[in-house]
Amino acid sequence: MLQKKICMLGGFAVGKTSLVRRFVHSIFSENYLTTVGVKIDKKSVAFPDKTVDLILWDLAGEDDIGSFRVSYVRGATGLVLVVDGTRPATLAVALTLRERCEAEFGAMPCILLFNKSDLTDRWAISEGEIDELKQRGWQIYLTSALSGEHVDDAFRQLASMVAK
Amino acid sequence: MSSLPEEVRSWIYDFFSNERFAAYLKIDARQCIEAKGGKLDFYGLSSLRIGEPVAEQLEFMEGLLPCPELPFHMPMMELPGGHVADLHFFGEGDSVWLLFLDATPERDHQQRLQQKAYEMTLLQERERQLNAKLQSTNEALRESQEGLSREFRRAESLLLNILPASIAERLKADEQIADSHAEVSVLFADIVGFTERARSVGATTTLAILNYFFRAADLLSEQHGCEKIKTIGDCVMAVAGLPVARSDHAQALANYALELREAARRERFAGEPLSLRIGIHSGPIVAGVIGKRRFVYDLWGDTVNLAARIQKAAEPDEIRISDATHELLGPDFACDPLGETELRGTGRVRMWRLRG
Repeated sequence: MLQKKICMLGGFAVGKTSLVRRFVHSIFSENYLTTVGVKIDKKSVAFPDKTVDLILWDLAGEDDIGSFRVSYVRGATGLVLVVDGTRPATLAVALTLRERCEAEFGAMPCILLFNKSDLTDRWAISEGEIDELKQRGWQIYLTSALSGEHVDDAFRQLASMVAK
Repeated sequence: MSSLPEEVRSWIYDFFSNERFAAYLKIDARQCIEAKGGKLDFYGLSSLRIGEPVAEQLEFMEGLLPCPELPFHMPMMELPGGHVADLHFFGEGDSVWLLFLDATPERDHQQRLQQKAYEMTLLQERERQLNAKLQSTNEALRESQEGLSREFRRAESLLLNILPASIAERLKADEQIADSHAEVSVLFADIVGFTERARSVGATTTLAILNYFFRAADLLSEQHGCEKIKTIGDCVMAVAGLPVARSDHAQALANYALELREAARRERFAGEPLSLRIGIHSGPIVAGVIGKRRFVYDLWGDTVNLAARIQKAAEPDEIRISDATHELLGPDFACDPLGETELRGTGRVRMWRLRG
């Protein structure tokens, strides 16, 4: 059985729980319910040669990065960094959280999601910024937990990265 | 300090275990469940099988063992049954003890507080964003308003250049304008030998001369309370007694004519002083605006036609006036009689030369 622990990381209210709910249960709710502590979900991703069970750790979002409990990430083989595309400051939060994890547990496969792509009139991340991150080697997806756009693609990509 | 009696310690243990729904697993070195106990059914975990790998039965255990730092604490893990547990890992030889303590009320309480705090923060962030957007929208609005009122002022000043101010006001109020004026004086003035001289000096110089002449006509009309109505080629048409009636319209226009002639003489055109032919007549006219998009304020009537004919009959540098105008001027102006002259379409007309 191929089972991999994946951690969802990012600032508060960027959509980590909504992305997991969309990916695992195909549902979305407009209501914001903050996560305290951690909740775990599982989803199998099938490839022609194997099936990977992703154990998704939906961690509490962070307001103050200092309060982040890096111990939750122990045993993780991949990270999903989530940014709210309408709140530019959440990019720095996601990148800092990843640095904290890698300092503790070493480098691991990682994808970067710019979420809430449906909110086009409030979108605050420029294409130039995204291109620059791509050039620095980031695997980037513009996702919408509301519409489901690119959500499966993103998780599938990470599954193939951690299954290698 | 002496320790508590065994009975008390046991009571505290029981109280705490009950209160926090304590449950535990013992996991062996192969990461299989070796033993289990406590209130596992509270967490929906009563079916865990002894002797089988823990990570296959408890997904959150994936990757956690072996754990190099024991004891290890992981707070507020929501379990599939919906209850929330604080997880504590303790080492004992090659084995690990995993203790579950209920943290559901604590998590729920913390969630309510956190929810309020984050919602507040989100609202503040959103308010800041909206304010910034509002500000930039306002800025843009103000700029386009300024542009618009600049355009409006420009249009208004253009309108005032073509029309008397009171007429422009009425036109803006969408009034139809056709007014009869019983008593006005009408003047025509053109440049002597304009066509030939224009040919000899070229377009640029000619334009400069026309500009000088028309500007003088404009300036003097302001000074004398007359209105320059229009220019036709090198000819200026002006009126006094419009749009506000005045009894001294003939005098005003006579003074205007005298100064216009002086102003012309100060300028040279093709080597010679600029000289004018001026004609004035007084009487009733109709004044109005014709056209809708390219409106023109103009005068109509026999008085206008006769004034034009008198002007055409005038000698160079002469200000020729009709008998009617002469009567109105009275004794303050020096005039020479010219006798009766035949004018085209009018018949014989008595005219005067205004000297000063």
